[in-house]
Amino acid sequence: MNTALVVGVVASSMLSGTSLLYATLGELVGERAGIVNLGLEGIMLIGAATGFAVTALTGDPYLGLIAAAFAGAAVNLIFAYLVIERRANQLATGLCLMFFGLGLSALIGRPFVGVLIDGLPRLHWTGLAANGIAARLSSYDILVYFAAPAAGLIWWLLFRTRWGLALRAVGESPASAYAAGYRPASLQYQALILAGFMGGIAGAHISTAVTLTWAEGMTGGRGFIAIALVIFARWNPLLAIAGALLFGGAEALQLQLQAAGADVSPFLMNMVPYLLTLLVLVVWGWNRQSVAPAALGRTFFGVE
Amino acid sequence: MKRLMALLTACAALAGLFVIGPAAAEDKPLVVGAIYVESVNDYGYDRAMKDGLEEMKKNIPGLKLIEAENVPETAESERIMEGMIQQGAKLIFATSFGHQQFAFNLAKTHPDVVFEHAGGWMQAPNFGNFFGATQSAWYPMGVAAGKMTKSNTLGFVVGVPIGYALGNVNAFEMGARSVNPNAVTRVVVTGGWSDKAKEAVAANALIDQGADVVTMHVDSPATIIQIAESRGVYSIGFQSTEARALAPKGWLTGLGFTWGQFMTDTAKSVIAGTFKPAMVRQGLGQGMMAVAPFGPAVPPDVRALVSASADRIAGGFNPFTGPITDNGGVVRIKEGESWGGDKMGNFDWYVEGVIGKAK
Repeated sequence: MNTALVVGVVASSMLSGTSLLYATLGELVGERAGIVNLGLEGIMLIGAATGFAVTALTGDPYLGLIAAAFAGAAVNLIFAYLVIERRANQLATGLCLMFFGLGLSALIGRPFVGVLIDGLPRLHWTGLAANGIAARLSSYDILVYFAAPAAGLIWWLLFRTRWGLALRAVGESPASAYAAGYRPASLQYQALILAGFMGGIAGAHISTAVTLTWAEGMTGGRGFIAIALVIFARWNPLLAIAGALLFGGAEALQLQLQAAGADVSPFLMNMVPYLLTLLVLVVWGWNRQSVAPAALGRTFFGVE
Repeated sequence: MKRLMALLTACAALAGLFVIGPAAAEDKPLVVGAIYVESVNDYGYDRAMKDGLEEMKKNIPGLKLIEAENVPETAESERIMEGMIQQGAKLIFATSFGHQQFAFNLAKTHPDVVFEHAGGWMQAPNFGNFFGATQSAWYPMGVAAGKMTKSNTLGFVVGVPIGYALGNVNAFEMGARSVNPNAVTRVVVTGGWSDKAKEAVAANALIDQGADVVTMHVDSPATIIQIAESRGVYSIGFQSTEARALAPKGWLTGLGFTWGQFMTDTAKSVIAGTFKPAMVRQGLGQGMMAVAPFGPAVPPDVRALVSASADRIAGGFNPFTGPITDNGGVVRIKEGESWGGDKMGNFDWYVEGVIGKAK
């Protein structure tokens, strides 16, 4: 272990954990309202493509970010209509949405392959143009700084507001929520719009802050990792911070260890983040029943 | 009477059309089909393919080129190539490794169409394959890196650790050592040819570990070159020589595929009906690979050294000539022995000076 390695892992896990956290928070809100969205990967891809395209066209990465958030929300609205209004199976619809997102993002991104952008500016919180290690640890884009506060905000919304209480009631028992005077469909729509918003931002972070390039299917399965992280976080936004850092950290650590010349097979190294995810699901999975929203994945057919 | 004459003339003209019809078809310009696995604007492998095909089109007036991008390495590619044949294609370039079997299937059912596949090994009377001999061409890249590094640490991002990619890393390190005995190359494997987010983290990791020259063997060099540029270190490109646009400050040089001449010759042989299938592997010497223009950071003496090294490789110098020791101290290529074209896929070890594990 050397300093460069520790610094590198910390800096890289913050950077790659950020998009995971936004995506996880979005999925978590949806699941708290009782809806599993396996199409998160597709939403992220659409966010990545839209964010990159608008940044390239306007030269303003913040505009790209806003566009990505709205694009994510708009596409998730299609999903919401299908599973809430048309009462389609959530898992099947989610998978369709994933493939739809893959195709649509390729279409949006097509003219922007190989285009150069400046990307989200890095803000130095030290106020100084630092060099070396200090620069690596103190210069991040705005989304990194807002990631943990966003988790706090979602937690506050879910657990400290009347809206959050109603939303969670829908996720536990839509019939009871309905009887208490809430409209489950309306709350689920709101949850899924918020989820799409977050998913779009998550995708845009990858393309406009991490890679600065658009390529087809570039999220590389991170949408599915985020779905696993919701379970890891036990549907708690604050635990999601730990989950995102853990996965981002595992990926950064294995690549840093390779760069540092660790005596481990690269094939094994590349499995580490996924092994970790599996392990986490095995360890936490057993008491899943007690914390998962009771009506998760079930279609609410209304009250006679 | 005049009317009758006019009618007769018209009939004769019509008949003439029918007679001339098939003859005109003989002179029909060649239609060439090409399928790419990704987008051609990626500054990478597909861009290099596209540039080669455009050169062929320019060299042969009247040639028609039908292209399809983002063609997956599945049976879908067979349907797309079939469609190109329906549109009259008589020569098809299947440009990704995974397209091989599907192109080969079509070659059997369409003996009148010639197929050229990039990187494979299959052979049939109407099926040949071609690729750049990349490994030895990496040697001059190492010379550039070895001369320019101040930290004596070079970084190499590898997508999938196949033998050919490991050979590239080995030649790179040997080139660097030829001008700088203290140069080491650190390797990070991402596990995929196109996982951009991971490539970004990998490039950052190499720079964190002290690398001040970063290079790569992945599909598109765009992400890694941009990370290097943003962190103020040098970069060396691979696949398309055009990647220099991505790093106006830190670009040193790069290695690109230049397929144009081979594609032109192949198309001409198809037109002349003299096509002969072969397993073509050519490098700097035959013009199938080229050293990209230098960046502004490279001083004249280094440019001269790199060019001289490239000329030496083009002239037939084989860097894989023993004795060569791996990074565990074992002699892998004995004194008097040398590894040539057919052994380039066999590397499962790194040469001395590479920091990393091959398997």
